[in-house]
Amino acid sequence: METFFNVWHYDGRSAVRRKVEIQTIGRQFFLLENERRHGPFAFSDVEYVTRKEDVDVYGLTDVDGWRLMLSGPVPDELSELLPVQRKYGGWVDRLGLGKATIAFTLASAAAVAIVLLSPQWLAPLIPDSIDRQLGDALVGDFGGRFCSTPAGDAALKKLVNSLDRNPQDLQVEVAKIDMINAVALPGGKVILFDGLVKQARSPDEVAGVLAHEIGHVREKHVMQALLRQMGLAVVLGGVDGNSGALVNNMLAMSYSRESEAEADAHSMKALGTANISPVGTASFFDRLSELDGSARDGDNGQGIAGYMSSHPLSRARKQAFEKSIVKGRNYKPALTPTEWTELKTMCTQDRKAKSGFGFEFE
Amino acid sequence: MNDDPAQRHSAFRFHGNWQEFARIAFPNLLLTIVTLGIYRFWATTREREYLWSKTDFIDERLEWTGRGIELFIGFIMVFLLIGLPIIVIQFISQGLIFRGQTAVAGIVTIAMFVLLFYLSGVAYFRALRYRLSRTYWRGIRGGSNNPGFGYGLSYMWKNFVGVLPIFLLVPWSMISLWNERWNSMSFGPHSFESTARWQPLMKRYLLFYLVPFLLFFGAITLAVAAATSGADIGALGGAGMAVGGILVVIAILGLYIILPLAALAYYSKYFRIAVGGLRLHNLEFEFRARAPNWILFFLANMAIVICTLGIGYIFMPYRNWKFFIDHLEAYGEINIDELTQSETVVSKHGEGLLDAFDVGAI
Repeated sequence: METFFNVWHYDGRSAVRRKVEIQTIGRQFFLLENERRHGPFAFSDVEYVTRKEDVDVYGLTDVDGWRLMLSGPVPDELSELLPVQRKYGGWVDRLGLGKATIAFTLASAAAVAIVLLSPQWLAPLIPDSIDRQLGDALVGDFGGRFCSTPAGDAALKKLVNSLDRNPQDLQVEVAKIDMINAVALPGGKVILFDGLVKQARSPDEVAGVLAHEIGHVREKHVMQALLRQMGLAVVLGGVDGNSGALVNNMLAMSYSRESEAEADAHSMKALGTANISPVGTASFFDRLSELDGSARDGDNGQGIAGYMSSHPLSRARKQAFEKSIVKGRNYKPALTPTEWTELKTMCTQDRKAKSGFGFEFE
Repeated sequence: MNDDPAQRHSAFRFHGNWQEFARIAFPNLLLTIVTLGIYRFWATTREREYLWSKTDFIDERLEWTGRGIELFIGFIMVFLLIGLPIIVIQFISQGLIFRGQTAVAGIVTIAMFVLLFYLSGVAYFRALRYRLSRTYWRGIRGGSNNPGFGYGLSYMWKNFVGVLPIFLLVPWSMISLWNERWNSMSFGPHSFESTARWQPLMKRYLLFYLVPFLLFFGAITLAVAAATSGADIGALGGAGMAVGGILVVIAILGLYIILPLAALAYYSKYFRIAVGGLRLHNLEFEFRARAPNWILFFLANMAIVICTLGIGYIFMPYRNWKFFIDHLEAYGEINIDELTQSETVVSKHGEGLLDAFDVGAI
C-alpha cells in the first residue's frame, strides 16, 4: 500500500531515524525503508504511546523503544487497524469526561458515607475480648499512676454501681494527674484525673462526668472513632497531606460532637436512674464555661465555636443538664460526706502512685 | 548522522504554551477532586506527557512513557510498607508512654525517624532513576541498574557529616550526593559522569550562612547605639529608643526578605555547578539561570498563585519545567549510530516513595 502521509520509525536498538512506508498485509505490516524491509509486525502488538504535536506515536509490545510515528492524514484503512488514543486514562476515555466525573463523584461520596456510617454498625460487632486487649495494650497499669486506698476504692465502686447496671465490664480508675479531665478508652476503661476529682465541689459533679464517660463506653464511641479514623485514613489517603488532614479533622470533630451529645444524654439518664441531682454537673460546666470563654462570648460566639470544637460548649451543656432537673424530686447525694472525702483524698493518701504526665490527652 | 548542537541556538527548546497546558491542568484538577485525590497519579502523567512532548532536544521531541498506574502502585506500596507500620509504631509508642516507658517510646520513635530518613534518600535516587527510564529520545531511554539502597546509606551519613560542623559542610554533602546519584545513571549505552566540585560553592553558602548573624548583630549594634545616643541627649531619649525599635523591626523584615534571597542565590549557584559538572559521553551540560533569574522566577510564581487565589498552583509544573528547559544547554557531539538502547532494568512501579516524602527529583 502506497502512503502519502509521513511515517517515521525508530527500531529501539539505535537512535537512527528511519523514513519508512507501511506495507499492510492482512493483520500484519512491514516497514519499507529504501532497500530494507523491517518486520513483519502484528497490528495486535501495536500500542498507543503518546501524541507529540501533530504526530501520533505508537510502540510495539515487548520491543523497548520501537516507535512508529505518523503525521498527516492517516488513511482510514490504516487507522482502523491502529489502537485508539489515550487521553485521560482508560476509564475516563471510555465514559467521557462528564460521565466519568459524575461516576467518580458518586463513588467517592459512597466511599466516604460508608466510612462515616459503618462504624456505628461495625463497632458493636467487634468482640469484647479484642476491645479489652486493645485497652490493655494501650493503657497497661498507666505507668503506676492509678491511685488506690481501700476506702477510696469502695467509694468509687459505689459510684460506678449506682450509675451502671453492669459495672463488672467497667474498669474505672483515678489517676494521679493534675488535669481537669477524664477519658474513656477501649475495653471499658474509664480514667478520672485527680485534678477533676479535687476541684469538684460535690460527689454529684464527679458522678455526672463519670456517667458521661460510661456513656462513651456503652455507646461504643471509642471503637467507632478508631474504625472511622482508620477508614478516613484509607479513603483520604490519596488526598494531598494538608487538605486531607483538614477534611479528616472536620469530619472527626463533627462526629465527636455527636458522640459527646450522646454521652451527655446517657449521663442525664443514668443520673436520673440513680436519683442523683444533675445540678452539680450543671454547675461544673458553668465553671468550665468560664475557663473556655463561652460564658463571655454570648450567643454570637457560640455558633462558630460550638460548631468547630469537638465538645459542645460548656455553656450549652450546662443548660442541657439544668433542663434535666426534675423539680420537687427528692435527689440523694451520690456519696456520703465520709465517702466523698475518701475519694477526694485518695491520690494524696496513696503515696505509691506515681504522679505527673508528660503527655497530653484530648 | 552527526548533529552539532553548538551550531544551533540551543540544544534544548520548549514549545509549550500555558493555554494548552490549562486544557490539561483544569480537567486534571476536576478529576483529582472527584476521585478524592486518586486521579492525581494519572494527572501527573498527562502533564508530563505534554511537557516532554513539547521539549525538543536537537531535532527530536522527548517522550514520556510513564503511566499513571505505575505511580499509583508505587503509592500503594508506600502506604502498605511504610504508612501502616508507622501507624502501628505510633500506637505502640503511645501505649509505651501510657505505661511510663517514655525512654523506650523515645527510642522507638527515633528509630522510626532514622528509617524514614534513610528511605527518603532511597526515594530521591529511585525517582531520578524512574524518570530517566521513562524518558525516551529517538526511541532510546535512560535508567540505572542500581536499586539505590546503598545511596540511602550515603544520604544518611553524608547529610550527617554535612550538618555536624555547625552546618558548614552542607554544600559538600549536596554536591557529593548529586555526583553519587548521577554517576549511577545512564542514557542509552552511555553512563553519566558527574564531577561537580563543592569548593566553588562555599562563598555563596557562607553569604547565606552569615546573613542572619550579620543582620542580627548589625541591628542590635545600631539599636543600642541609637538608644544610647538618644539617652545622652536626654530630651531626645524617647526618640532614640523609637529609632532603635524601628531598626529592630527593619532587621526582622530583612530577615524574611534577605534570607530567602540569599538562599536562592546559593541554590542558583549550586544548580549551575551541579549541572555544569555533568557529562554524558561527548555531551556536556550547562544551566544558565543565575540568581536574578531564579528570584524573578519565584516572585512570578508567588504572584501567580496569590493573584489567582491559589488556582495558579496547578500551573507550577508547567512553569518549573519551562524554567528548567529554557536554561538548560548541552554542548558536544552525539553519534546517533553509537546511541543504542539502554540495557538497564525497568521497574514497574513509579515514584511512590518520592510522592510519600514530597521531594523533587533533581
